[in-house]
Amino acid sequence: MLQAARTMPDTLAHPAAADARPDLIVVQGVSKRFGSTAALQDVSLRGRAGSIHAITGENGAGKSTLMKLLAGVHQPDAGEIRMAGQRLQLRSPAAARAAGISTVFQELTVLPNLTVAENLVLGREPRRAGLLDHAAIHAEAQAVLSRIGITLDPQRSGASLTVGEQQLVEIAKGVSTDAQVFIFDEPTAPLNRAEVDKLEQLLHALKAQDKLVFYISHRLDEIFRLCDTVSVLKDGRWVATEPIGALTSERLITLMVGRELQALFPPRASTPPGVAALDVRSLTPLAGGASARLQLRRGEIVGLGGLEGQGQREIVRALAGALPPAACDVQRLGRDGQPQAYDPRQGVAHVVALGIGLVPEDRKLEGLYLDLPIADNIWLGLLRGLGLVRRAPRQRAVVTDLAKQLQLRAGSLTQDVGDLSGGNQQKVMIGRWLAAGVDTLLVEQPTRGVDVGAKAEIYGLLRAFVAEGGAVLALSSDLPELIGLCDRILVVRGGRVVGDVPAAEATEEGLLALALVDAPASAPGVPA
Amino acid sequence: MTALRSGIRRTTLALPVVLFALLALAAPGFLAPQNLANIIGQITALLIVSLGQMLVALVAGIDLSVGSVMSLAGSLVATQADPLLGIGLALLLGLLVGVVNGLGVAVAGIHPLIMTLATATFLQGLAYLVLPIPGGEVPASLRSLVNGTLWGVPQPLLWCALCAGAVALLLHHTRLGLHLFAVGAQARSAQLNGVPVVAVTVSAYVACSLLAVVAGIYLAARVASGDPTMGASFGLESVTAVALGGVQLTGGVGSVLGVVTGALSLGLMTNGINLFGISPFLRGALTGVLLLAAVCAQRRKVVGL
Repeated sequence: MLQAARTMPDTLAHPAAADARPDLIVVQGVSKRFGSTAALQDVSLRGRAGSIHAITGENGAGKSTLMKLLAGVHQPDAGEIRMAGQRLQLRSPAAARAAGISTVFQELTVLPNLTVAENLVLGREPRRAGLLDHAAIHAEAQAVLSRIGITLDPQRSGASLTVGEQQLVEIAKGVSTDAQVFIFDEPTAPLNRAEVDKLEQLLHALKAQDKLVFYISHRLDEIFRLCDTVSVLKDGRWVATEPIGALTSERLITLMVGRELQALFPPRASTPPGVAALDVRSLTPLAGGASARLQLRRGEIVGLGGLEGQGQREIVRALAGALPPAACDVQRLGRDGQPQAYDPRQGVAHVVALGIGLVPEDRKLEGLYLDLPIADNIWLGLLRGLGLVRRAPRQRAVVTDLAKQLQLRAGSLTQDVGDLSGGNQQKVMIGRWLAAGVDTLLVEQPTRGVDVGAKAEIYGLLRAFVAEGGAVLALSSDLPELIGLCDRILVVRGGRVVGDVPAAEATEEGLLALALVDAPASAPGVPA
Repeated sequence: MTALRSGIRRTTLALPVVLFALLALAAPGFLAPQNLANIIGQITALLIVSLGQMLVALVAGIDLSVGSVMSLAGSLVATQADPLLGIGLALLLGLLVGVVNGLGVAVAGIHPLIMTLATATFLQGLAYLVLPIPGGEVPASLRSLVNGTLWGVPQPLLWCALCAGAVALLLHHTRLGLHLFAVGAQARSAQLNGVPVVAVTVSAYVACSLLAVVAGIYLAARVASGDPTMGASFGLESVTAVALGGVQLTGGVGSVLGVVTGALSLGLMTNGINLFGISPFLRGALTGVLLLAAVCAQRRKVVGL
């Protein structure tokens, strides 16, 4: 995100928002709580017709919650929403749609057992004499798809669509209703370049038709390219609404983060790395597949990069024992420098027992117990190595200290992990391994779904971890992150490590080149 | 267009055909007109109640109370002298049970197994109260609707056609039908698309209970009297028939044709057991095995295939 911002022109010649048109949507003093978490506090916002209005902020700022109030998914605890002067009571998504507010949700809602056409008309099916009018359903779907310029067979099943196609259907569904207000919640995430262009044309067309578009995004380049007005939320509160011409990307980031962002990445290790925590002489994750060779030493953070799906994930998972490899020849030296019998084919429990922890990409599904409080999630780490019937230590002090060290932003340690922001969840995930006393971390996408402020803190945690003799292997698809965070970057292509670049000398272009074409013959992955 | 959610596979369609052929070859007297008429008569009740079971299965539910609803409905018509009053009471009962089941599941969030097991037990008690021992007499006017022929067609077949036609119309030509599939596939997505999930779920349970009432009236009229345990075996048998017919018990996939084949298969097996003189107690055992086999044979999460 910062990378995008850097390449942005600082001022764009957008017409100033000196538009005299009246406000179409007025949100007045709206608050919403979920359990103990205040998602929105006293937020007021105005949007006028003929505008593309960005709603932005860090993860957990309340953007999506605010839009879900407008979409009728949630109802505000206090405050009111007016549309063209009329007070709205949006008790359900159907009610919001009837009021003329159409929403493209962030979560995909395409139903797998319905056709594209049925998905498009769901909830407002054309009928004749009380029965479904199949011909009209088909015709309407066809018309909507061609109006937007999507070539998609209306008779295809929802299950056969790719994620990008599903998003297009969501967008088509949103614009096919005759609404006055359109909400797009991070619509471009699964789309390719051509599809994004199509979406942008569509948004401009809606603007020209005097519609109000709320566009939720935290991609700065998109906001500057598309929107004429920006509203920033932070921690559930409204921060600012500005015409785009009055903003620079630096100023916008400052508004989002609420403070000047200084060093995102901590300084690299100053001492040379120690012995190899993992000396992978050969690792074949899948039978018949390629073998990788790499070395991870104590005191260093090693990055795994490359194009998506080149086998990086399999390497990490194989080392963690989560995906037992077909074959491997790995030497592991413990903290004391003594070799340990390490065999990831024996599964996760064996690997964890040796002090190697996996921080999975999908922490909600594979890492955390969302319904359990923070304290229990961290405390689970203390159980490592205890037998099934051993009495577990209830070391409250350890958990409390860890929470402090992690800089957790939570009301209390009894709060459910599911209620936390992505950044805090990741901290809890790392905290569990710290409690478990592991000395090697395998991290997939260290800061996916984590906002800018928390990113810096997570980077700091990982750096502190290796400074104390730990080792981190970090898989990331974010090149600036790899360069900023790591000491060395291994580029993986076709299941092999094809490049080994000191991060201090790495450039995005150089890494990308390695990811795409053959590197000069050397012994990558293993430092000389 | 609807192939993607019918759940029908070749094996689904082949099963009753193969069974029919096997029985025709091996079972003495299978093809006798009297036996065939018997089969139709027996299958009709199962088919009607299974059609309702499918509607509930489409929204990822299960209704174990259909058997008790049948028993109580049969007992009601067998104890009321006025057939219209009996039918009216039974339909009212069905409506009430469906609403209670539906609200329990969709609003109170009770698991459908527990919810409908509770109503099943409750209604079984009521059935014993209405008719402590098998008996009573179903009015002649009702009996005449199930035993004869109309336009040369056995009347049970007409009951089947009417119910299957009505459910097919509901599934493929009404909003409720489309919404049943949508809710069953992913209730939250359906909700976000403006589908009234609670109303759709309650409607499924109401339709299921009403069909169970129809099956109960039919069965009582067939045997001319009531029996407080008449429907007891139909709860699990309807689930088995539905599973045999390719309906996903996890929701979102099912079809009338599938249920017809499932009910036919189960009915033919029952008839075969009778013809071969196998102990009727084994029939219950076989139903259990079949249910397990049918569910195992379904690929999980084939929604949309």
